[in-house]
Amino acid sequence: MSVVIEVRNLTTRFGRQVIHDRLNLQIRKGELVALIGGSGTGKSVLVREIIGLQRPTAGDVEVLGTPMWSAAESALASVRRRIGMMFQDGALFSSLTVAQNVAAVLDENIELSPALRDALVQWRLLLAGLPADAAHKMPSQLSGGMRKRAALARAIALEPEILFLDEPTSGLDPITARAFDALLTFLNRDLGITVLLVTHDLDTLLGIAQRVVVLGEGRVIADGSIEQITAVQHPWIQSYFRSRMLLPTRGT
Amino acid sequence: MLAQLMLIEAALEQAIGPSAPNAPRPRSVQIDGQALQALDTAAALALVMKIKTITATGPISATGMQPAHEGVLKLVLQRMPELQISPPAPALAWRAQIGASAFSLAQMLRSHVSFLGRVAEAAWQTARRPHTLRVHELIAQLGQTGVSAIPVVALVTFLIGVVFAYLLGLQAEQYGANIFVVDGVALGMTREFSPLLVATIMAGRSGAAFTAQLGTMRLTEETDAIRTLGLSAEQVLVLPRVFALMITLPLLVFVGDVAGLSGALVIANTMLDLTPAGFIDRLHAALDPRHILIGLGKSPVFALFIAVIGCRMGMDVARDTRSIGIHTTSTVVQAIVAVIILDAIFAIVCQELGW
Repeated sequence: MSVVIEVRNLTTRFGRQVIHDRLNLQIRKGELVALIGGSGTGKSVLVREIIGLQRPTAGDVEVLGTPMWSAAESALASVRRRIGMMFQDGALFSSLTVAQNVAAVLDENIELSPALRDALVQWRLLLAGLPADAAHKMPSQLSGGMRKRAALARAIALEPEILFLDEPTSGLDPITARAFDALLTFLNRDLGITVLLVTHDLDTLLGIAQRVVVLGEGRVIADGSIEQITAVQHPWIQSYFRSRMLLPTRGT
Repeated sequence: MLAQLMLIEAALEQAIGPSAPNAPRPRSVQIDGQALQALDTAAALALVMKIKTITATGPISATGMQPAHEGVLKLVLQRMPELQISPPAPALAWRAQIGASAFSLAQMLRSHVSFLGRVAEAAWQTARRPHTLRVHELIAQLGQTGVSAIPVVALVTFLIGVVFAYLLGLQAEQYGANIFVVDGVALGMTREFSPLLVATIMAGRSGAAFTAQLGTMRLTEETDAIRTLGLSAEQVLVLPRVFALMITLPLLVFVGDVAGLSGALVIANTMLDLTPAGFIDRLHAALDPRHILIGLGKSPVFALFIAVIGCRMGMDVARDTRSIGIHTTSTVVQAIVAVIILDAIFAIVCQELGW
């Protein structure tokens, strides 16, 4: 499998605070990777640096073979068309309806006949699991779960090769959150989209993540399948998974 | 990949073309996918949509496709029936739009009045128990609305003083009546221009700031938090702002008076051969303190309206970011219109009273 994201010796400092210290990470095509770590370990910052929103202090990031911090603007623009990002609070354009939010992305990039464009917008909303009547609502009229789905619909508008998600299930009830997990699995497995998600949600981790990357102390402290991760003897990892084991379990 | 979609669409158009109305409709369609190199759901959707225009209900199948592509096509065919394209709700007819705007205007004015009532109630409570006044907030607002506004107020009124004296001077010079420029500038600046200009600046500066501040607090639920703590948002947030602006606006108008007359003094010296001493001498004789007092006296009323409109629009912000922008714009427009209407009322009343 080819490597689609390559992070080499990435260092990030805010003033004297070191967030990442020569961090290395590789993500291959078709993977569904969850990025976890305690608060302040720089998970969201890492994602922002990978997609070219925030400049790292040192180190290289390559996405789909393009160096994000040294390539020309035109090369970056074509990479940005091939990736999608879903922000934590959706970041939907509040002056546009849900359908217009998705259509805006299409209109900026391709010129289609109105019929195909409208069908494609509706198709994205359908894939994201939004009912047809949500299309003409304003983002402020939607519930939290719906807003996340609308944000996902916009993120996949251009059918990206890589999808980045920042805490996709935070603030959702468990039922909606599991439906969202199923949606991500579908996008990954059926549409072949590589998915990198930042999450705090243990259920997402146990349910859908094929590979888990744990950030801590400025670097990757563990990387592998969920079974491999739980076996790592690291105080933070152990207490993270123990927080779930403390819950009473019923059945089976 | 999606970038090629317009090429794909054009190619499909050419390959399948618009079907003639009487053309025989094929019962089923088979796609030969042997040469297919890539297929995403958008392209598959375009293909299926195009095929549907020539065959109404017939089954669509594929041969020779790679399994991945076949999966994508199958997915599109399977979910396609769920695809409903509903048109957006039609815009209101122009008569209905006028009606709707009139209603919302009436509603807004009504709620302004009731907000003014709540502020008055909070002010009454504070007057009875003065220790409930938020002194820290008041001082912070005095600094923000007053001290930091002095430079812009002084600059603008100074320049208006220069322009005003220059225009009057051009006329007065023709009659050799240079000295009367002082009369005109003194009366005009202190009684009308300075209060009106300063109030307009403050409507844009502080009124907009109040709306943006309180609107953001509404967005982050801070105003709700204040209520759940058993405090009154009017008392904690609105009153200090209203009081602060009512205190600072007259002071700023006085700054404007001085700066405007200084501007006139400078231009009179260079253009009209009026020495500064002669200018001030004439000012003493010509400027009745009553004009200054009327100018200063109406400014707290302007301030009350600007602050109440600003706070009210801020408290009315809905829970989305767009509404802050809309409300801030509305505040500035409403406050400036209110100031001009009030000024007209003052002018008529003073005229009738012979002031």
